[in-house]
Amino acid sequence: MKDDRPVMSPAFRVASIAVLAAVTTVLTRLVQIPTTASNYINLGDVVIVFTALIFGPFSAALAGGIGTALADLLSGPFAFWAPISLVVHGLQGLLVGLIVRARPSNVPLAILAGAVGIVIMAGGYFVAGGFITGFGPSLTAVPLNCLQGGVGVVLGLLVAATVERAYPPVRQWKW
Amino acid sequence: MNLELYRQGTSFLHAFDARAKLLLLVPLIVCFFLPQPWEVLLAITAAIMAVIAAALGPRELLQPLKAIGPVLILICLLTPPFHRDGPVMLRVFGLALLTGDGLRETAVMLLRFLGITFGVFAMLRTLPLDDLVLGLRWFRLPYAACLVMIVTLRTIPSLAGTWRNVLDAHRLRGGTPAKQGRRKIVARYLPLLTSVLIEAVKSIPALAMALESRGFGRRNPRTAYAQLKKGGAFFRDMALCLLASAMLLWPAFVRW
Repeated sequence: MKDDRPVMSPAFRVASIAVLAAVTTVLTRLVQIPTTASNYINLGDVVIVFTALIFGPFSAALAGGIGTALADLLSGPFAFWAPISLVVHGLQGLLVGLIVRARPSNVPLAILAGAVGIVIMAGGYFVAGGFITGFGPSLTAVPLNCLQGGVGVVLGLLVAATVERAYPPVRQWKW
Repeated sequence: MNLELYRQGTSFLHAFDARAKLLLLVPLIVCFFLPQPWEVLLAITAAIMAVIAAALGPRELLQPLKAIGPVLILICLLTPPFHRDGPVMLRVFGLALLTGDGLRETAVMLLRFLGITFGVFAMLRTLPLDDLVLGLRWFRLPYAACLVMIVTLRTIPSLAGTWRNVLDAHRLRGGTPAKQGRRKIVARYLPLLTSVLIEAVKSIPALAMALESRGFGRRNPRTAYAQLKKGGAFFRDMALCLLASAMLLWPAFVRW
């Protein structure tokens, strides 16, 4: 089937990645949903799933990676997680986007892609954290990361559907 | 929302070249992962803390310590049970809770986490993010990647403002849902996220046009207003950086 989407200019690609990375940073740093007495989850994963579904795997990899890395850099004491977030969330966005690329409107496939993304994200942070803080303390972050990823997948799927319906031009912006 | 860790100042850390700081960060992080005795890691961590205290004041050490406190406690509690070799130092109901090996590994993990945290903190506290990007550009990071970082940093404040405006607008309309449980998060955040994301994606074409009108995508030679310092100070800082790198990696090299 012929792809009749317009060719994206380099400036459009840079602009889309920059804006989506900024949204990822804002939702990672600004929105903190309390789960237990001292723990929070953020909504950065929502934007990664949304970007993967609407803008494609490469936008999701770059925007998700750069956005979460900048959120870590701006966070202060946890700034050294930035390179890890860049790789882990970049890989998460890339895989989610690549899996849903063949059939974007297939909801079970999108949920499967989101689950793969959660495994990559939680597993990536577990392994990286294991080398930095030890595998015992790193294990305690896994349930929270899975919860955050789950909320990200559910909200990401819903937001992608609503944004696509409310603002149809985004359907042409995948690359 | 805190947009930068950087604090203005005139200390020697502020004057240290951005490229030298970035370069020094690599051996600093690497040395904490090399198989070294905990005493060496303690000396390096103490040196980093002393540099921060001398350049920025002892109070600056408290901010990262407060934030990473819970992680440090977790390391102290959860590392010893995973390492059971060596002489038993604490036994409860016949179960060895703390061994010599466990204690040593806990010290290594604590010092690694502290050292990397303070090392990165010292860099970002004294380095504006614009200089960080210029430094990365000097290390041959592609122009498009640096541009994405700069545009993202410039876009964050306006998007943070959009998020607050949308939040206020939804509150005024009585948009806070009364539903409880798992559906509460979806019911509360879905309208907010939809509004903010539509606002954000609508701004993409205008931003792309602005970038094109400023010459992005053309093949002309590029000029830049912002530049890092050149000349003697740069070479001095690079020499200091190489000396410090050698000192950081020397104990592991000798041991190997």
